[in-house]
Formats: sequence, C-alpha cells, structure tokens
Amino acid sequence: MLNESACSHNKTKKSSCDKPKPGATSGGCAFEGAQISLFPYADAVHLVHGPDTCLGASWETRATLTSYEGENNTPLGYCTNVTTQDIIFGGDKKLADALSYIVEHKNPKAIFVYETCVTAMIGDNIDYTCKTAQDQFNIPIVAVHAPGFVGSKNLGSRLAGEAVLDALVGTREPDSIHPFGINLIGDYNVTGDMWQYKPILERIGIKIVSTLSGDGRIEAIQTAHTAKLNVIVCAKSLVTLCRKMQERYNIPYVSVSFYGKRDTSNAIRSIVNAFGDAELIAKAEAVIAEEEAKLTERLKSYHLMLKGKKAILNTGGNKSWSIASALQDIGIEVVATCVQKATEEDVAIASEYVPIVFKNPGAEQPRLIDEHKVDILLAGGRSLYTAIKKRIAFVDVNQEKKVSYGAYGGLENLAIDVCAALSNPVFKLVAKEAPWEL
Amino acid sequence: MGAMINIKEFKNTTLKPLHVNPLKLSQPMGATLAFLGIKNCMPLMHGAQGCASFTKVLFTRHFNDPIAIQTTAVNDITAVIDGGEKGISEAVENITKKVTPDLVGLFTTGMTETKGDDIKGATLLLKEKQKMVYVHTPDFEGGLESGWSLSVQNIITQLIAPCARVRKDKALLIPNVNLSPIEVEKLKEALELLDFEVLALPDLSDSLDGHLGVKQGALSSGGISVAQIEALGDAGVVITVGRSVKKCGELFCEKYPQSTHLHFDSLMGLEASDDFYAKLLAYMGSKSVPSVVKRWRARLQDVLLDTHFSLGKAKIIIADEPDSAYALSKALREAGGTCEAYISQRSEVQEAFTCKVVIGDLEEVEKALSAADMLITNYHGERLAHKHHKALLIRGFPNYEQVGVALRHNILYEGSCAFLCETANLLGHH
Repeated sequence: MLNESACSHNKTKKSSCDKPKPGATSGGCAFEGAQISLFPYADAVHLVHGPDTCLGASWETRATLTSYEGENNTPLGYCTNVTTQDIIFGGDKKLADALSYIVEHKNPKAIFVYETCVTAMIGDNIDYTCKTAQDQFNIPIVAVHAPGFVGSKNLGSRLAGEAVLDALVGTREPDSIHPFGINLIGDYNVTGDMWQYKPILERIGIKIVSTLSGDGRIEAIQTAHTAKLNVIVCAKSLVTLCRKMQERYNIPYVSVSFYGKRDTSNAIRSIVNAFGDAELIAKAEAVIAEEEAKLTERLKSYHLMLKGKKAILNTGGNKSWSIASALQDIGIEVVATCVQKATEEDVAIASEYVPIVFKNPGAEQPRLIDEHKVDILLAGGRSLYTAIKKRIAFVDVNQEKKVSYGAYGGLENLAIDVCAALSNPVFKLVAKEAPWEL
Repeated sequence: MGAMINIKEFKNTTLKPLHVNPLKLSQPMGATLAFLGIKNCMPLMHGAQGCASFTKVLFTRHFNDPIAIQTTAVNDITAVIDGGEKGISEAVENITKKVTPDLVGLFTTGMTETKGDDIKGATLLLKEKQKMVYVHTPDFEGGLESGWSLSVQNIITQLIAPCARVRKDKALLIPNVNLSPIEVEKLKEALELLDFEVLALPDLSDSLDGHLGVKQGALSSGGISVAQIEALGDAGVVITVGRSVKKCGELFCEKYPQSTHLHFDSLMGLEASDDFYAKLLAYMGSKSVPSVVKRWRARLQDVLLDTHFSLGKAKIIIADEPDSAYALSKALREAGGTCEAYISQRSEVQEAFTCKVVIGDLEEVEKALSAADMLITNYHGERLAHKHHKALLIRGFPNYEQVGVALRHNILYEGSCAFLCETANLLGHH
C-alpha cells in the first residue's frame, strides 16, 4: 500500500506515506485527506458513515469555491451519526436509510460514502449497501475506503483519487473530444485559486475536460478518460491516479504549480509543450508575455516596500516551495522553508528555491528568525504565536486564508497582504514592556 | 451482509437516519478542553491521528490560540493487534522526550472503545514514569458537555487525595464546558468578593483566555495545578454550574461528605443570578453583599426594561449545547423573548426548559428559521442567517469568524447586562 512506483522515494526504499508516531504526530488522517480531495464536488452529497465526530468538527471549514448552480453540497455536513446501538447491531441499515433520505430530499448527481475508523472496525458492508442503492436509485454511489487509521492525509487523498478512478472515470462518453483537453488534478479551488489561471488556459485554446476536484462536476469527471493530458497541480498524493490513468487510458501527465509568476508561466509552458502543437505554443507565449507585463505593472507600487525583506516559510507539503517562489517573484528574500510534511520530491524542489530547508519548526524557526534577522513569517495559523513572540510580521497562508494567492492575479493579493503585515505597527507595539517592567 | 433498502419502511419512522449539518461535537473534544484547564498538562487522545488533528484545528481557530494535544496515532496494524498499551506507552515516551508534563490526560475515541482497549491498565503500567488520568470518552455516545464532565469526574476520583479536614471558606468551582475563560474568571472574582478562596476545576481562565504568552503551546499554558487538584479534598463547598457537571459535584460530596454541594443550572439573567447569591449567602449565614454587586443588579433591572421592547417581540431560535441553550433561553425569556431551542443530544437539563426544546441538527433549525427573527448558534449559523436574512448572534463551538471569543462575559448581573444589550442591538439593527 505504501509503495508507489511513481514516487521517487521508493528507489531509496523510504516511504513518505509513513506510519505516524504515537505522541509525536500532527496533521490529519486518511479520512481528512479523502474529504479534502472530494468535497469540492458540489453537485454530489458527501455522506460520512461514522460517529458525528469526523464530520462534526470538520464540515464547512474549507473555502473551496464552486460555480455550480444547484444546491452547493460542499459546505454541508452529512453524517450517519453512528451510535452505540449501531456498533452492536451494525450500521448498514442506517447507511441504507440515510442514502434513501438523501436521494429523496436532495436529488444529487452522485453520493460519496466515506468509511471511518468505527465503521471499518465493526465491518459494515459499505460496498454492498452502496452497490444496492446505486442499482436502485440509478446514480453513482461511491464507497471511499479511507478510514483514519490507515494513515496520513496524503494517503487518504490518494485513496479517494483511486475510488474516483475505479467508480466514475470512463463511465460516460462526451459529445465531442477536444484535441487539447486536460484534466486538472489536485487543485481544490480554495479561495478560487483555480479561477485565477483557468481562463488564461482557455484563452490559449486549452479545454478543461474535468477537475479533481476544484469547482468539479460528477458528469465531467466521468469523461476524464477522454482528456489528452493530466495536469497535477501541487498534489503529490494524486500521482497514483495519474499513473494508473496513463496505464489504463494512455494519458500522460505533467506536474505543475500555479504559485508565483515564474511557476505559472512554466506551468503553462509544460502544458502546451506536452501537446507539442506549434500554434498552441506560440499562442501560449503571447499570452504569457501579455500577462507578465500586466503583472509587472501592477506590482510596481509594492516593490519599494518589499525589496530586501527577509521571510521564513512554514507551510504544508508543496507550498514549502510554491509559496517561496511566489514570494521571490514579489522581491522578497526567502531565507528558509519548513519541509516537515513534504514528500521527498517537495524537499528536493524546495532546496532548489530556498537555501535552508528545515524539518523541526518548533526548535529551528525561532533560531533562524534571530540568526537571519527575518522580517516576516508566513505560515498556517498555528505559527502565529511564534511570530508574535519574535515580534515579527506574520501572514497566514494555510487553507483558511481568505483570498487567493494563485497564478498572476493572486500574486498581487500576496503582495498586498505581505505589505500590510510589514507596515503594521502592531508587532512592535505588543513587544513593548509594561510600565512596571521598566 | 448489507441491509436491503425498503423505502416504505423508512418513511414510517420519524427518526432521521442521519444528521445533516450536525450540531454535535464529540466527547473527546470536551475531554480535550477539560485537560487544557490543568497547568502543564498534555491531553492525549487515544485514537487515529485525525481525531486529535480535527480537534486541534477547531479549537485553534476558535480561541486563536495554540492548543496542546497529542495522539496515540493508532494505525491499521495497532488497531487490530494492540490492546492499547503499546501505543499509549510509546506516545508517553515520545511526549516526555520533548516536554515534561505534570499530567497526561488520556482519553479514548470511538475506534479505541470499539476495540475495547484497557486504558486503565495502560496507565497503571506507566504509573512510575508519568502521572496520568484516564477517561472513557467514545464519540458514539454523549457529546462535548459529557466529555468535559466525565473528565472532571475522573480527575476527582483519580487525583484528589483523601482528606478529613474541611475549610468552610474554600470553594471548588466546577464550570460547564460552555463557560468562556473570562466567565470562569468573573465567577472566581464574584466568589472571592464573598471572601472565598476559589479554585476552578478545570480552569480555562488563564490558559485559553487569549493572553500573549511566551509558550509554544507544547503543553497547556495555564490552569489549576496538579498539586492544587490533589489538595482539593478540604473544600467546604463545591459549586457546579450547568446540569452537565451536576454529577461532578455529587461525586465530590460522596467522596468528601463534609462538603456542601451548591448546584446552578444557569447563571444567566436576573433569577439565576439572584439564586446564586441567595444560596451562597445562606451557606455563609450572611445577609450582606459588596456594594458593586448591588449596583450591577440595579443596572440589570434597568437593562431588562430597556431591552424588553425589542426582545419582547422577538422570536429567537437557539441551537447550542444543552446547558448553554438552556441558559440563553432562560435569560431571553426574562425579557419576554419567544424562544425555540435545538440541542444536539439528550440531556437532563431538557426538563428545565420553559420553551420548546428539540433534539435536532441544523437542517431542522433551517426549516424553522423562516418564522423567526433571530438565530443564536455557532459559526455554521452564518450561512443560514445570511441566506434567510435573520439576525445572528454567534455562541457555542466553533466560532471561526469572530475574535475575542474567550473574552465574552455573559453571566451574573454584569454579564447578563452585556448579553441582553448585545442581543437587543443586533435585533434592532437587523
């Protein structure tokens, strides 16, 4: 299970889907990974089969936007609320009843059923219940087997991707097949990141066949097998899905990032080069030149403020380098980046962008901040107090952020936020000693 | 073997087979908060890593503060072949490599209860290495309130030393999980004004109150110390606030019969605050209160009159934990508000409600919303209130969007003034 031939670490027999260590583990479980990967399908209902906890604490927490015109199911929480009774007698009947309730009241395009620790443990026959309901109601009902105890968030994302591949991909034929059709894999459209670059790709002449799963649609992902190229956007965990699609449908894949000017332009180039169509490549270069010129103009006013400023990054996997690249593009020197939760590929890429990569933020972050006279820390909310303690500026770049930092357009948002943090007197003010301490 | 689906049969049952937009938070989450109210404590959740991660993220965003918590990270192998002690001892070993907790609060989750792990045995094996308290908190039973309460009960039975002395002026305060850190502090101050020495168990007032500290959140950053807990046996009076913790007070008095138990279902509004002072004065054999208490009572009388115009005409839906929903509805009823309460699970406090109370989820709340003026619930109410153009007051867990959640003060005479004014103003400007 923990071997993925497309992952480079398997050459060294190391696993990045490592078993978690008791008492020394942070980060989400496989269920959370599955949830993150699939919840953006707003036209499907996401039913969590387990006690209320898994969902009770996690629904409506990610700002993954959708343009779906029906009822948006992404911010809604559906849960079978397994209780002691169900654990003794089995939760299958409750699941079956819940499925018919959902079909009757919600009329979704599909239902995903997420197995959790407890329902895996008591051996509910989720596959059978889903299959029976699927035959009866005539919509796809997909069992996702990623209970929390099988591993980390990344593993859950991977399992969710494979569930989609086996149950949905290839189950519908489109009206027409586009010569430059792509699937966008692994962008969840948090704060509308995907919408920053999707129109640019379309302007070049590329068609988005389907997404997994930002602003995604069930009917689109069913036709994913007719795309000519899979584009993995910053999501190593879904490389398995792409490798299997290459094996099954002969669809090649490229891995790109849409953070920062250089990476966005390179991402566009990777995509058009994969098609190798001269006209398409020329069109892409024209659009890139135009977008970059617009961006340079827009970033001019922030340049004075940001020049020579030093930053440290502490984010999840791919962001360890993608945000670093974006920061460098707005003129900031990135001193160090944390690779605690990054895969080996990410660590390798991060080392190309940033001089220092570190693994233990608790111990190393404060030291690095002092040593390099860092001006700003960019991290998830949990690191805020590190910055405050060190009296340096802070920007929250995790999944709960409010605006998109993606592609060309998002870079200006990043510049605005970094400038605002740097020019805010609050970090110095709270460092002042109290009158009775002087 | 899966179950055959029979739609007709299902239509005849009144119970919904699922929760849509659940109101419920889990027992282990309540236990986490309880242990965060003990100084230098590490809450250790026995389950897969996600339970602790979800909990940490939710409370981090709610309090805007670091949350100390660790997990035994049960995996697919230990889920099947370990009886718990291997993962637990490994977790304690890894925790103590980095920090030195005065206490490790060990509590279970649905999965480890389904396996039937022996957590008592695991803590006994580690007794030489690390002081621990164990609690059974499966998430397929109870909720936030009971997880907190069960933890307090187990702290009382496992930590407090035997004691024959009694100090009439020493008060043990047991708040329910819904009280904010500042409410706990204000309650302690109110009791100190009456010349009590007060200890709150758990005490979130200086651990999750949002003070700027120097710690990294490796362990809980404040609260009642383990030594203070061990020495609680001579408390002359135990004060429980909220029906969910009533049993904690009863348990304490069983163990220390020389202690008096004063229970309050709520401390919001005039009647509840009056009841608080009446019972305490009776215990003390006194008739006098500090003048500041009298002044705040007179202000609350005035606020009740000032707010009764808008509140008296308002239909308000409350969806929260049972104890909190009860306290809110009671306070609003005093100013003439019409309330309907939704709670996530059964609770003993249901009998005390003077308004309609329903066990339901936020889907049920939304159905009832069109006939109401205002919604009082957690952050998930934002979308509903916005969609249906209703006034919204955010209370309960989680509250992701607002700051200062820990600083809220809505109890006793003073806090009730703030609560009624805030509610009336929201209604007025909606």
